[in-house]
Amino acid sequence: MKFLISLFFLVFFGLVQAQPNRILLVDGFLHVGNGQTIDYALIGIKNGIITEVGNSLINSYDANDWDTIIHLDKKHIYPGFVAANSTLGLTEIDAVRATRDYNETGSFNPHVRTQIAYNVESKVISTVLTNGVLLCQATPRGGIISGTSSIMSLSGWNWEDATIFANDGIHVNWPSSLQGGGWWAEPAPKKQNENYSKQLKELNEFFVMARTYANSPKDVVEYDQRLDAMKECFLGSKRVYFHGDEIQQISDIIEFSKKHEINYPVVIGGYEAHLLGSRMKDSRIPVMLRRIHSLPENEDDPIDQSFKLPYLLKKEGIIFSIQNAGDMEAMNARNLPFQAGTATAYGLSEEEAIEAISLSPCKIMGIDKKFGSIEKGKSATLFVSNGNALEMKTNQPFLILINGKFMPISNFQNELFRKYSEKYLKN
Amino acid sequence: MKKIISCFLFLGLFFQHFTQLKPQNGIQTSSPQFIAFKNAKIYISPKEIIEEGTLLIQNDKIISVGKNVKIPENTIEINCSNKVITPSFIELYSSVGLSTTKKEENTGLGAYYWNESVHPEYDASDDFQIDYSSSEKLINMGFGLALIHQHNGIVRGSAALVSLGNSDVNKQLIKSQAGFFYSFNKGTSANSYPSSQMGAIALLRQSFYDLEYYHSSTPIERNISLEEWKKKSELPSFFKSEDKWEILRADKIAKEFNQKWNYIGTGKEYSWLPNSKKLSGSIIIPINFPESYDVRDPYIAKQIPLSDLKHWELAPSNPKILADNKISFAITTDGITKSDIFWTNLRKALSRGCSVEQILSSLTTTPAELLGLSGLIGELKSGKLASFVIYSDDPFLKEGVLMSSWLLGKEHVIKSETGKDIRGSYVLTIAKKEYFLEISGTKEKPTGKLTTYIINGNSKSKPIKNDTLYQAVQIIQRDNDIILQFNLNDLNYNGSINLHGKLMGRDAGIIEGDALIPDGRMVYFVASKEKASKVKDDKSVLIIDTSFNGKIWFPNMGFGNDSLPKSNSFVFENVTAWTNEIEGIINNAYVIIENGRIKYVGKEKGNYPKNAIIINGEGKHLTNGIIDEHSHIAISKGVNEGSQAITAEVCIADVVNSDDINIYRQLAGGVTSAQLLHGSANPIGGQSALIKLKWGHRPDDLLISNADGFIKCALGENVKQSNWGDNNTTRFPQTRMGVEQVFYDGFNRAKKYLNEWNNYKLNGGVKPRKDLELEVLGQILNQKRFITCHSYVQSEINMLMHVADSMGIKINTFTHILEGYKVADKMKNHGAGGSTFSDWWAYKFEVNDAIPYNAKLMMDQGVVVAINSDDAEMGRRLNQEAAKSVKYGGMSEIDAWKMVTLNPAKLLHLDNRLGSIKIGKDADLVLWDSNPLSTTSKVDLTMIEGTIYFERKKDEMLQNRNDLERARIISKMLKSNEKGEQTKPYSKKGKRHYHCNTIGEEGTDEENLH
Repeated sequence: MKFLISLFFLVFFGLVQAQPNRILLVDGFLHVGNGQTIDYALIGIKNGIITEVGNSLINSYDANDWDTIIHLDKKHIYPGFVAANSTLGLTEIDAVRATRDYNETGSFNPHVRTQIAYNVESKVISTVLTNGVLLCQATPRGGIISGTSSIMSLSGWNWEDATIFANDGIHVNWPSSLQGGGWWAEPAPKKQNENYSKQLKELNEFFVMARTYANSPKDVVEYDQRLDAMKECFLGSKRVYFHGDEIQQISDIIEFSKKHEINYPVVIGGYEAHLLGSRMKDSRIPVMLRRIHSLPENEDDPIDQSFKLPYLLKKEGIIFSIQNAGDMEAMNARNLPFQAGTATAYGLSEEEAIEAISLSPCKIMGIDKKFGSIEKGKSATLFVSNGNALEMKTNQPFLILINGKFMPISNFQNELFRKYSEKYLKN
Repeated sequence: MKKIISCFLFLGLFFQHFTQLKPQNGIQTSSPQFIAFKNAKIYISPKEIIEEGTLLIQNDKIISVGKNVKIPENTIEINCSNKVITPSFIELYSSVGLSTTKKEENTGLGAYYWNESVHPEYDASDDFQIDYSSSEKLINMGFGLALIHQHNGIVRGSAALVSLGNSDVNKQLIKSQAGFFYSFNKGTSANSYPSSQMGAIALLRQSFYDLEYYHSSTPIERNISLEEWKKKSELPSFFKSEDKWEILRADKIAKEFNQKWNYIGTGKEYSWLPNSKKLSGSIIIPINFPESYDVRDPYIAKQIPLSDLKHWELAPSNPKILADNKISFAITTDGITKSDIFWTNLRKALSRGCSVEQILSSLTTTPAELLGLSGLIGELKSGKLASFVIYSDDPFLKEGVLMSSWLLGKEHVIKSETGKDIRGSYVLTIAKKEYFLEISGTKEKPTGKLTTYIINGNSKSKPIKNDTLYQAVQIIQRDNDIILQFNLNDLNYNGSINLHGKLMGRDAGIIEGDALIPDGRMVYFVASKEKASKVKDDKSVLIIDTSFNGKIWFPNMGFGNDSLPKSNSFVFENVTAWTNEIEGIINNAYVIIENGRIKYVGKEKGNYPKNAIIINGEGKHLTNGIIDEHSHIAISKGVNEGSQAITAEVCIADVVNSDDINIYRQLAGGVTSAQLLHGSANPIGGQSALIKLKWGHRPDDLLISNADGFIKCALGENVKQSNWGDNNTTRFPQTRMGVEQVFYDGFNRAKKYLNEWNNYKLNGGVKPRKDLELEVLGQILNQKRFITCHSYVQSEINMLMHVADSMGIKINTFTHILEGYKVADKMKNHGAGGSTFSDWWAYKFEVNDAIPYNAKLMMDQGVVVAINSDDAEMGRRLNQEAAKSVKYGGMSEIDAWKMVTLNPAKLLHLDNRLGSIKIGKDADLVLWDSNPLSTTSKVDLTMIEGTIYFERKKDEMLQNRNDLERARIISKMLKSNEKGEQTKPYSKKGKRHYHCNTIGEEGTDEENLH
């Protein structure tokens, strides 16, 4: 059976049922994810992998090669957006403790892994997927080393199924150099500097232990669960994600990463990273920028400082992506495209903004060979929207593929909308 | 008999001989009757200064003062030449001599006022004891009298005027009940109410009403607090403020109850008081000027808010600025514990140009006037108390040192006379070996330098620069004994030399005595003065420097206005105007603004007003300002009075804080008006404030006048305290069932209350008690105040509409209302509006069924729907939130835009003047660089009533100006760091924002329970 589909009579529900595996997308407007665009794009997908990307005005195709050909009529095609540094799938209802699975007790927990706690049936996930966010980095919280994250797909039968890349990195909450005593009405003298060096020393000692463990022959050392989880940070490609915003922190992180010969350090947050300018750039440490829709840190900071950060990093030549951690971050992951969109009003081009939530995070996390852009040989993890997906008005994905599989474009929220619309129609 | 006794050798000779009640231990000591202080410069009063004058006292009273005072027989004369005498200063805000343990009478157990923080019965004189160690600090600063009370509670009770010192407690208690104190700080009261400032305000007002009620009718109970309060009601009253706006808040209460309050300020009065309405009373300012921050680390320096930096620079000018504006003030030492800091700061204020007369009167005559005791204290005039201070020199114009303080005619020596001036050049001979000794430094603290010289052959000559060595000499002067120590390493001696000698000869020109030399022998030495030092102490003469460059901004912080912005006439040409009226979106429209109103909107060019500013709107979109129906910005000290289930008496409008930077940030997001709501901690919370975001103006000027009143109610998890942890399981209600009953209970009580009053108005009889809580609930029943109710699930929404129906009222607005889509038809029938989030959910259990299609579904059923923020960040992107309605459910752009403009105006009953671009409505307009519903749209300018409060171009200039100002003050601070002035480390203030669920005055970092 063959589907030949034009947009005017879309029956995607059928596609979700049938799950064809030789798909050709014709004449969409392609946002590759690497900064480039292709008009009248031709995208071939076989067995979940993109086999060709071209231009239908130049490249011809044989209809017989495909079991499903979809004409997209200049609709926008995007690589799946990536919610890096998120508790999506690890929490269901923030206020209900029983549903929170992201914060283990203890200070140094590199060995705890989010992968196995990821709830792929989360209702929250279903509402994020339908806005074009198709991958996430399930990230632990709390302590000094929170644990090990994994990169997950927003679809699957179980966590194994949904795993894109297991144990991609450990997360370090860099101590704050500026936590003050008191509060705004009654500030108390700060003693934090003292603690800061103490905490840094503690962190340093842990890394020294971990590095020694990693570099010692197997038969010499006794197995240590904690230190073993750190091994690949020194020997392999496991990332060390340092969470920090302040200039003091970031400058210390650069020094620390060099000292411990960490292969892939990453800064998450990075509010003041641009102030370090060429030192940040030369360190080659990428920044996963904090939530764009957030207030300035200081009373006197420019009112649009958070909106401008992507541009400021770009200007300095610092590698960056955009993520969304913060209040209600799981449910808010669906607003990630709009955070990128806001940045386009403050110095980022549209394609750069798309890259900042697709290819760029994938590069930083080390999965860009397979994910992050719509290029030959990569996973067919993409979506098609009626209009600009970075715009609130026009973000309307009507075709969503994860690893070549058609995703439902409805969720329980659409269902409730339909149900109550019908109630009122009947009345 | 006349005795001449040198000043200050005069310790404790006098015992006053009033008849005393205490039995005498030992033999009665007789004492001379009169003491005359002669030849002094005397500050008789701030205005009257005499040189070479005489002050004559007898016991604790001044007999006379002047140039030609007749000295009676039996007078001890004290020569005070070169000395300066001032009246003792009067401290108005003190607790000297009061035990630190809580000792007010109202502990909630006796027949007192129900709330412990209201304890007018407290009388400081009951509690007063001699406590010399704490009063010594004040004595060292030059104070002789203090008004003392326990710094605890809201109605604090009466204060006593006492003399400092440690003579006799009965004499030192000069006047009990000399003043009465209030504050908004509940202190150590064990009652949980009030937990917020607005609660404190409501409690204070209620207690005044109770005072009136108790004394206007036959009381049905006895209440000691209210009885005592009445007796003290004529006392001079003082209010202690703790932040900048509290004085204005308190003054409204003072005026409401015909009180005259004097205010203990915060030191920031310069920034707002000069252009405020006259206060009911005077102001008492602290001079605890902020220390400079340690700004040597630029990482730290960049974090310090400009508001703090500017205050650091301007604070010492507070007295000068107030004086320049003809505002009389008293000065308090509140916040200062060290006397040298008091004097340093006082001189700082003088060096900023405040006059000595002004400073002295603020410490003497003004406090005396405020206490109504000008006849007794504050000046050195006949008949007044003999409390005065003797300084070594003028303490204001030079660095005169406080030598002794006379308190009620009794001397307290602070510093003994240093003895003679030994400065000069000496030839020092130690066992026939000669040296040159140079003594310099100050008279009080001389320092020495010994010149040895390398001997060239036999010639003994004056030292020549290139062959001399200098040795530092330590000098101790103990009256006439001089002790010198130095080290030598020359042909004569090798080691330490210690000398002890006495001053001898005429003009003390010779020091003679014994020297201990390095070989352990004691030998004779003599030093004879060749010439006296010419060094004068003139370097400490006060230098007035008014050239500090700090300007006061409005508000006085980053992004503050240089001056208050002014209204103008405007014409927008060729603009895309979103009218929100039947005309919809008009392309190439002309919009004319005059007198703060919209004068014209349409396609025609028409006549422009005179001097109108013409703005080319080509390619731009003009809308009316965004109205946030649910906001918690710009609120001081607590968004929830969560201590009781019903707190209708509290009001956010009482605690608006116009210095919140979020006002400016939201203007930049196109917001012009907001409803500041009480939180959702209790079923019936508090009244709201409707404000316009007039950045730079004072709190009251932000309030929208003649607007209907609203009150916040709440349902569900927050009022059930579901997410507050296991300790919060006792306050009623704990279930939705209980919530319903709280509403019935409140409204039933209010009905009864209204009946009582109606009855009284019709038939007379006993005037009922005025109850602020029931008063407000009564307003709701009379449909003079309207409910906006925090709500989530359909059951509770339905329930509250039933409660309202049964009371014959309507729920005006359900806010949050995330399951409103399930009962939209019922809401429509009831007449309720909905103000919702665009897409929030999953943050707690009751929002599990929240859907982003809510706004569209409710709107389709005819409900008036708004989209609100409840969040300081989202508040500046409400245009984006509105745009989500287009995505979720396919709302039209025009309808989506109304969600954040016209519809909230309707919900707030302000659509007759706000919410659309219509002739006659307020010119609250926003010019956008593109379609306002676009993610990429930015605000070019925001105006309120024809006044521009935000302009993108100007914002860039302000950022530069902020940076320059910061750099300027930091470099000034660095200089003061270098000089070694006292510094403190910067401590970052918590970055906290109120949400519905914030309890108490402080937000936590983890608030997300909206």
